[in-house]
Amino acid sequence: MTDAGVYVHVPFCLTRCGYCDFNAYEGLDALKPTYQQALLREIELAAPGWAGTPFVSVFLGGGTPTTTAPADLRALLVHLRDRLDVADDAEITIEANPDTVDVDSLRAIRDAGFDRLSMGAQSFDTAVLASLERIHQPASVRAAIAAARGAGYDNVNLDLIYGTEGESIESWERTVHEAIGLAPEHISAYALTIEPATPLGRQVAAGTRAAPDPDVQADMFQIACDLLGDAGYRHYEISNWAKPGYECKHNLGYWERRPYLGVGAGAHSYRDDVRWWNVRPPEAYIETVGRGELPIGGSESLDPSDAYLEEVFLKLRILEGVPASWFEPDRYERFVANGLLEDEFGQLVPTERGMLLLNELVLGLTA
Amino acid sequence: MPTDISHIRNFCIVAHIDHGKSTLADRMLELTHTVEGRNMRAQYLDRMDLERERGITIKAQAVRLLHDGYELNLIDTPGHVDFTYEVSRSLAACEGAILLVDAAQGLEAQTLANYHLARDAGLVIVPALNKIDLPAAEPDQRADELAKLLGVDPDEILRVSAKSGEGVQALLRAVVDKVPAPTGDAEAPLQALIFDSAFDTYRGVITYVRVKEGRLPSRATIKMFATNVTSEAEEAGVMAPEATPVDALGPGEVGYLVTGLKDVHQAKVGDTITLAGKHGAPQPLPGYREPKPMVWSGLFPADGSDYSELREALDKLKLSDSALVYEPETSQALGFGFRVGFLGLLHMDIVRERLEREFDLELISTAPNVEFHVFKGADEIVVHNPAEMPPGGDYDRVEEPVVYATVITPSDYLGAVFELCQSRRGEQVDMEYLTPERIEVHYVLPLAEIVFDFFDQLKSRTRGYASLDYEPWGYQEAKLVRVDVLLHGEPVDAFSSVIHRDKAYEYGKRMTERLKELIPRQLFDVAVQAAIGSKVIARETVKAKRKDVLAKCYGGDITRKRKLLETQKKGKERMRRVGKVDVPQDAFIQALRVDEKAGAKR
Repeated sequence: MTDAGVYVHVPFCLTRCGYCDFNAYEGLDALKPTYQQALLREIELAAPGWAGTPFVSVFLGGGTPTTTAPADLRALLVHLRDRLDVADDAEITIEANPDTVDVDSLRAIRDAGFDRLSMGAQSFDTAVLASLERIHQPASVRAAIAAARGAGYDNVNLDLIYGTEGESIESWERTVHEAIGLAPEHISAYALTIEPATPLGRQVAAGTRAAPDPDVQADMFQIACDLLGDAGYRHYEISNWAKPGYECKHNLGYWERRPYLGVGAGAHSYRDDVRWWNVRPPEAYIETVGRGELPIGGSESLDPSDAYLEEVFLKLRILEGVPASWFEPDRYERFVANGLLEDEFGQLVPTERGMLLLNELVLGLTA
Repeated sequence: MPTDISHIRNFCIVAHIDHGKSTLADRMLELTHTVEGRNMRAQYLDRMDLERERGITIKAQAVRLLHDGYELNLIDTPGHVDFTYEVSRSLAACEGAILLVDAAQGLEAQTLANYHLARDAGLVIVPALNKIDLPAAEPDQRADELAKLLGVDPDEILRVSAKSGEGVQALLRAVVDKVPAPTGDAEAPLQALIFDSAFDTYRGVITYVRVKEGRLPSRATIKMFATNVTSEAEEAGVMAPEATPVDALGPGEVGYLVTGLKDVHQAKVGDTITLAGKHGAPQPLPGYREPKPMVWSGLFPADGSDYSELREALDKLKLSDSALVYEPETSQALGFGFRVGFLGLLHMDIVRERLEREFDLELISTAPNVEFHVFKGADEIVVHNPAEMPPGGDYDRVEEPVVYATVITPSDYLGAVFELCQSRRGEQVDMEYLTPERIEVHYVLPLAEIVFDFFDQLKSRTRGYASLDYEPWGYQEAKLVRVDVLLHGEPVDAFSSVIHRDKAYEYGKRMTERLKELIPRQLFDVAVQAAIGSKVIARETVKAKRKDVLAKCYGGDITRKRKLLETQKKGKERMRRVGKVDVPQDAFIQALRVDEKAGAKR
């Protein structure tokens, strides 16, 4: 059986950030106890369908999962191990926001079994954090990382966002340097994306706020590539860098098209070219699971051409590349000639410039 | 029984647009009981929906009114400069014309132009002021103005309100009294002037005719002089106002003839109908002219797969529009379409609107251009499409059509009118004060300058007070160049333009700036250039695209990401390629639309 991953979604946040279009809510804390029950129940309902599947990763994302009490986190993981075939050495990640954790809480979380910590740092520039409506300060990030180290974490990721309005090239350089200075094992750096259904998206649509300049974001991407590469991080996915051996197994599962089970409101699952997703509103999710039903909100079957398209763009994302033999030479030769692809012994791998133009590559190769 | 020729009066109404011609016709229909009140509807004679909505008349019509024992044939004339030739043929069917002037607005350029046409055609003029009941009416002043123009006593100017009917009886009486009866010999060989033709789906080509000499029997073998086509005519009749068959139309009479033909191009306006064989007249009536397109534009279906529908639609329109000409054209930017010739801008608008409305087609049209004559050595090339013009000045000279333009303006705006005409390469011929406040100015202007937003500019610079009319005035040499717009070195045919050398830079700059905004960034820098031959006169650069990737792609994002790529892929498939550059067709359409907005309006 192919190795699989489990994703568990926690939709609760202290505050909603203006750019975020995830299935997350503030002010719904009253639902937390019943939501926890529903997660446990859904695992029971889903488990028979995944009998015999080895799970090599668990990822608790959100929302802000560290708003969940450590006892509940422990119970969740125990339940997962109980009902599913989770490997002993599975990678078990929890997302955290600075200011929601300290050394004690992190120690408790680590004791509960979460051995990888992904910290939403986003920036080390106060103005940028304010612009993103993040409630923490740069100092909180430093403190949170110190707390993580104190709690014994030796596999930590920092999330960064670049291209926010008002962020200069120099500010971004400082942020990357600061991140490197904290020596996390893994760094994710995302170009800020304007999602229409967010406060930020509405401001951009209304013209009250500038959309990120893609050329500036391209420059920032190049800075990240250069600085992180020099600091010994390997660029293994468009937005992800890791010290050798610290690549995120769970996320690699998505990109390598391995099966995954999503638990919680709005979570997506995938297996055997079928993808399905849970209902998004936490109330509806709780209610459906409470009736003893799988809370499926929708599904799609990938036909061979869908699957092929996903295969191509995901393989290009993780810089594994795709075999040149899949395409007619006139499909890729111009990309090799203009330096967007490299032909490495029959494997077409995007260059750094090519990564930024991945959509063009995929369209050009598969059109 | 045909009416005694001495009791026939054939007349038309000459008026500026909006001066109330159609309303006056309506009142005449009512007062003579030609149409009973309950059947009356506004602008009765304007039959096509399109005409009634636009409030203009594009098809001349003839209606018979019976009044005090007289047969009054009211021949409606088109009211637009595009149709000057049609107007002249309608006038040739009459002995008199009512010159109708708005008592508030006064004389306008179109009134003058048509008055001159009517006078030159030897018609008796019956002057009348309309809308005398309007608060803004200044009938005394207008009567003086009109009397001066006509050289008559102001008391001879009749005063009516077509709206209320006041004075209309007197006007009809004046038509009977002043307009002479037609002359003609019933025994002479038949000569009938076609002053309009129409196509009816069931009955084929119907012509509107004025019998000049002889008799036109209801059923006869007829011959058209200009086309030398013979046909079995099926029915002659009069419009009263609905079609009413008669045994024959006698000399001086006006009516319709169902010709038995299936194509209006065989029975052209201005042609003469006679009988086939030995009873036919040896000569046609004078004044026939082939309809000549003045303005050309490329018409393309927005959806390339509608090409055959567009062809069928044009074929159908052509049946009822003898002035419409077209030939297939291929553009690499816009695909397959047609280069279509029109009598003028209004004709162009009407044809486009009918194509879109009656045939449900979405169209893209290139900026209208005139016909150029290009001379090289002994050769003359006629150019209907800027892309056909030899590039880079590889010719001895170019000639462009000019028009003789009449502008009537309040004296306050004379400076603005001069300025506009001067900036459009106009040459002033003369000017004359109609009254101390109103001036008639004549200019010779390149038609190309009028085609491009001249009328809008005239209106806006004179707060709508100036009026314009023009007539073709031959060809004249001009310093014209072909400006090409190039993408990455490849010319985009749809944007080639033949333009005066002094305006080439402005055009090139405008088009390159606009296209820069509309062309999506490619994987390489794209030069957008305007050039005369190999000389680049303006340049913009669409910088290479550097980033087109989704930052995050986790479990829930993959489906969305794939769908996004599929959408992008479909978008790419709809792109047109110009050399190496992918351009959404929409970009071309938008670039052309903006130009259209800036230009070509009546």
